[in-house]
Amino acid sequence: MEPIKNDILDYLKDNSFMDTNIGLEDNDSLTQNGIMDSIGLLELMDYICEKYAIEVPEDMLTPENFDSLQGITNLIVKLVK
Amino acid sequence: MSRIVCKKCVLDSDMPGIDINEESGLCHFCETYVPFSAQEKSDYLEKMEELFREYGGRGNYDVVFALSGGKDSSYTLHKLKNEYPFLKVLAVQFDNGFISDNAVENAKKMCELTGSDYFKLTMENEVLYETFRKAAESRDAFPRLAKYRASDICNTCISIIKQKLIEEAIVQDAPFIMFAFTPGQSPNPIIPLKANFIRWSRSIFEKQLQKIGVEDKDEKFLIKNEVIESMGKEGPRMLHPLCLWDYNEGQILESLVEIGWNPPDLNDSNSTNCTLNSFACQNHLEKYGIHPYAFDIAGIVRSGDMSREEGLEKLHQALSQPLIEEAAKKLNCR
Repeated sequence: MEPIKNDILDYLKDNSFMDTNIGLEDNDSLTQNGIMDSIGLLELMDYICEKYAIEVPEDMLTPENFDSLQGITNLIVKLVK
Repeated sequence: MSRIVCKKCVLDSDMPGIDINEESGLCHFCETYVPFSAQEKSDYLEKMEELFREYGGRGNYDVVFALSGGKDSSYTLHKLKNEYPFLKVLAVQFDNGFISDNAVENAKKMCELTGSDYFKLTMENEVLYETFRKAAESRDAFPRLAKYRASDICNTCISIIKQKLIEEAIVQDAPFIMFAFTPGQSPNPIIPLKANFIRWSRSIFEKQLQKIGVEDKDEKFLIKNEVIESMGKEGPRMLHPLCLWDYNEGQILESLVEIGWNPPDLNDSNSTNCTLNSFACQNHLEKYGIHPYAFDIAGIVRSGDMSREEGLEKLHQALSQPLIEEAAKKLNCR
């Protein structure tokens, strides 16, 4: 799971102007910590779908699954299987 | 270290968060930029047309269109109806208390020309002024990325428009919502909106409003919860065709003037419709040191739709002091 988490973190650092020194914990909210807004989430979702060749079903598009590094990583692992 | 401007676009090393690679002379965004190929653009446009044929003709309207009366949205509406005359369009113009009379005339004219229905979305000016004043006085209500896309005032205004257009599309059972985002503004040409995501984006904007000190209990700005509850799982799709079409500002203005669109009398290089824009830009520059159009202009330059020289000139053009003073007076800001 670590490579996926690092990949998402790299994406955030490269594409969201996130401070590279920020200490983002696995369960920290991306939307409540000034990292993502709804447009950013849509871009991140596009990136994930393309990179991991998955589709995110509508019922999985929730803050529980998509608002933290851990949630996104779990979601990808679940959908890639 | 002295200021270095990216060799390809207009971003420079003085802008917070922008690093220029000394070897390549490019900013990170230009280094990793992969433009849509002609084939990809054509595939997206084909997909859009397929969607029009599949989902059109079912609701009261096919498209709820965000029409500011400015050049981009006027051009997009005109081209859209030329290419897809079968679409039934409701053009919504948001009166944010700062739209110019000229923009209202232009919007109505474009609707007449294209056979689109016109709807002016209005709210109490005092409520809007207070909200924009609070946005101007706020810090960090929007995430860092959003600060590069637009000023805090514009982010607030655009979010209201998005919320209310999604609401209108659901009410009208319209399958499409359209914005005239340029290649620098648009993340994706086709965005399906699912009920869960609409709920979530509402909640994100509600918290942003709270951060600037606005409690929208009456759902003036937010999508009404009862409207979200009335929809099925599948929501409307958001479409951004302008980012798939060739974009040349000069040609767009020329073609619009030919069909009777009146050029604005605003002395603002970045807006042809809003008298609050110069104030919003100045406020953002003062707060964060970021020009809210830098990223947008950089995107247009990067995609080859504007020359770098033109982009730099646009970015460094002085803001209009009379417009700034007029807006500050309305907002009761210093």
